[in-house]
Amino acid sequence: MQLRECFEYLASRRTNQLVITSAGNCSEMWWEVTHDRENVFYLEASMSLTSMFGAGLALGVPKLPLWVFTGDGAFCMNPGMLMVERQLKLSNMTHFLVSNRCYGSTYEVPLPNAAANDYAGMARAMGVERVLFFDSLDGFKRDFDVAVLAPGHKFVVLEVERVGKKLKEPPMEGPEMKYLFGRSIEKASGIKIFDE
Amino acid sequence: MSRKPEVEDRMRNAATGNTGRIVEEVAGCGIKLVASLPDTWISDLIEAFDRDERFIHVAVNREESAIGLCSGAFFGGTGALALMGASGFMTCVYALTKINYTYQIPLLIFITLRGGLGDRAKYHVSNGLYLLPLMESISMPYVIVDSPEKVSLISKAYEQSRVLCRPVVVGFARQVLQQ
Repeated sequence: MQLRECFEYLASRRTNQLVITSAGNCSEMWWEVTHDRENVFYLEASMSLTSMFGAGLALGVPKLPLWVFTGDGAFCMNPGMLMVERQLKLSNMTHFLVSNRCYGSTYEVPLPNAAANDYAGMARAMGVERVLFFDSLDGFKRDFDVAVLAPGHKFVVLEVERVGKKLKEPPMEGPEMKYLFGRSIEKASGIKIFDE
Repeated sequence: MSRKPEVEDRMRNAATGNTGRIVEEVAGCGIKLVASLPDTWISDLIEAFDRDERFIHVAVNREESAIGLCSGAFFGGTGALALMGASGFMTCVYALTKINYTYQIPLLIFITLRGGLGDRAKYHVSNGLYLLPLMESISMPYVIVDSPEKVSLISKAYEQSRVLCRPVVVGFARQVLQQ
């Protein structure tokens, strides 16, 4: 499955989901496909913490659905994130693991043990109840409603090809992103994030 | 006259001494989420947060996960505290500088002042030598709580974190945590 076509399909099915993306291909491709500045937090500097960041947010806005994208490079740095996710049982969070078996933000240098890593198996071993794996766009489209739109915490492995080129980074700076994203959440949820 | 069971439960679960004072100070800040990894000095404090129904206590897999979780909680409008030992904090430089500094996200962090005077654990000598210089090297604001009277600094540190839009650390000396 190609990352671009996968993200284009996801973007076409997206309604009110907040999105958090990890460094490298996830952030850059989501930006290229959507150019969304307000409802996405491009967590370009995180090295494995997107799902924890997402979990903290999800706790506070239980009625807002949340999509979190982690690259497998980041996942390898902190697979224990799934223990915390499993413990929290966040019904509004879907965690997509974008697996391209390389470090996409650093010119696609291969991951350790790249060919053998079984991310879905790791998630199941940690007790995550809803683990899904897709390596074809047709399969992803066929099962999308159950895999992604159904309520409940889900861990969805998207096996994709390497992009093969460096993509452009989202152009926003950190504080700009903070306020765009935060104001968007305030508007959508009615909660107060920023002090007067 | 017997009390209602739920009142008895609350009383049984209420932390006492300095631990209780710390918990009350944190609750007074409006903090709801506590993410922790243990250090022997804070085991009572972690247990107190875990028992207290005013808080969602999350045991995390590593200290950086606490930074990520609490930083995300900011965008959910949830006041948050990351609670950890000195050694764990030393592993968080990347997460703090890249997430909290880059995006200007406030965060209250409690750490233990391991390696200080009276700490006989040889494996904490490095914390005694490098913890405070490390915080100063990354311009991390911090306050030291080395007596019960200074527990009130917690709310000031939380408020300062919100004003500065960056983390503020509260470092606890042993005598405050293990009274």
